[in-house]
Amino acid sequence: MELDFSVVIEYLPRLLSGTWMTIKLVLLSIVLGAIVALPLALARISKNPLISGLPFAYIFFFRGTPLLVQIFLVYYGASQFEVVRESFMWPVLREPFWCAIIAFTLNTSAYTAEIFRGAIQAIPEGEVEACKVIGMTKTQMYRRILLPRAFGIVLPAYGNEIILMLKASALASTITLLDLTGMARTIIARTYTPIEIFLAAGAIYLLISMVVIYIFRLVEKRQNRYLGTQSIKVPDKG
Amino acid sequence: MSKDPALVLKDIHKTFGDHEVLKGISLEAHDGDVISILGSSGSGKSTFLRCINLLENPTKGEIQFNGEALQLKQGEHDLIAADMKQLTRLRQKIGFVFQNFNLWPHMTILQNVMEGPLHVLNRPKKEVQEYAEYLLNKVGIADKKHMYPNQLSGGQQQRVAIARTLAMDPQILLFDEPTSALDPELVGEVLGVMRGLADEGRTMLIVTHEMSFAREVSSEVVFLHQGLVEEQGTPEKVFGSPDSERCKAFLSTVF
Ligand SMILES: Nc1ncnc2c1ncn2[C@@H]1O[C@H](COP(=O)(O)OP(=O)(O)OP(=O)(O)O)[C@@H](O)[C@H]1O
Ligand SMILES: [Mg+2]
Repeated sequence: MELDFSVVIEYLPRLLSGTWMTIKLVLLSIVLGAIVALPLALARISKNPLISGLPFAYIFFFRGTPLLVQIFLVYYGASQFEVVRESFMWPVLREPFWCAIIAFTLNTSAYTAEIFRGAIQAIPEGEVEACKVIGMTKTQMYRRILLPRAFGIVLPAYGNEIILMLKASALASTITLLDLTGMARTIIARTYTPIEIFLAAGAIYLLISMVVIYIFRLVEKRQNRYLGTQSIKVPDKG
Repeated sequence: MSKDPALVLKDIHKTFGDHEVLKGISLEAHDGDVISILGSSGSGKSTFLRCINLLENPTKGEIQFNGEALQLKQGEHDLIAADMKQLTRLRQKIGFVFQNFNLWPHMTILQNVMEGPLHVLNRPKKEVQEYAEYLLNKVGIADKKHMYPNQLSGGQQQRVAIARTLAMDPQILLFDEPTSALDPELVGEVLGVMRGLADEGRTMLIVTHEMSFAREVSSEVVFLHQGLVEEQGTPEKVFGSPDSERCKAFLSTVF
């Protein structure tokens, strides 16, 4: 068969607009996810089972169920409840974009919380004791030493999570969103050139991944100049 | 009116699980005292020292600083601080130097030393920096202040750790085997700094295996055995003519 890549050129503007949607989805949910993840991680570390129990269940649920199911639950599930339809949240929950953001944020926050927790717990106990013996309070300890220290440890795993989120964001196309994958499918429906267009979409995903990896390498190098290499293991998205 | 002792420890007990590590240790330190704590490995020296500032929670006992009792309450397994504000305030006055230095590796030497006075004591930055530089100079590391801990030798890191401790202006200094993690050729530089501190009249409790150092600088020597004080007295007494057979045996193995 003949491949004709001129369709890629022809539809490039639309592919790029899909790319922009993908970037918006990933950026927003990564940022919101990190904001949700931090208190989750801190609560998860607590020795008090009343405090660590809830984040445990939350993380267990969002890591243990498919992201696609979570998206459908938010998108199709929320509208089933009258309270939701009548609430001030409805204009938001009606929008596929915000449904995707909510599902992605909840999902990535669960993974990110585990990454943060791992990083904080990877800090050697002696460095924590060095904070205690000069009379730091818990808050001072986290704010001044432990979180900045964890930041360096967290980088490789966190960069990885962003790339996983980037790939998972293709699921947004299942709820009518025209992200890169969704856009590719609509183009193909018109042109019948699946190989060319999907190859082009794949190349764009790859390019974004490379940029993310590159940025993280730079930051990591700067941050961990004198630390030697350190990284923690995190479970892959299932 | 006589001044209260800087530190009073009464009948300190500590149990890990069902292993009783400290079986009732009492000790007093007055201003200017340099007390060395000796004992074989596992005798409870570190545990005892760590109970003083509640890095380890004693199961029983009393702790006083300058006559002020540390407020303790019964926790699940041991005694815990009843008043966190009091604990952090008292900890600011009790310096602790670790065997493994425990510098913060993501901060420069200068940042390590400035952290406490700047962010715990909230002193003005300019003053803190001047003092930190003075202390680094005093321990002989002034030229390395912009380096990171991992770029320094063990002996240098330990001297930074001592400067970091001094930066808080502590009234009492606790040392837990400060030279045990060092290569033999680096031990001297750290002991030199500590000897200087003793000469300044600082109040110090030192857990150490450096016998000749302990003999020279100490005003009092305590020998622990299986969680109890087995021998106690002046260095002349403990090193010269100990009453305890175990202490004699211990000293004969280390000299
Ligand atoms: N966190 C802990 N949990 C359980 N047991 C402990 C703990 N810390 C210390 N121990 C035990 O308490 C005993 C005394 O330990 P400690 O570290 O105080 O001894 P030490 O005199 O400092 O010995 P060394 O000279 O080897 O440092 C040891 O038997 C040790 O195994
Ligand atoms: Mg010890």
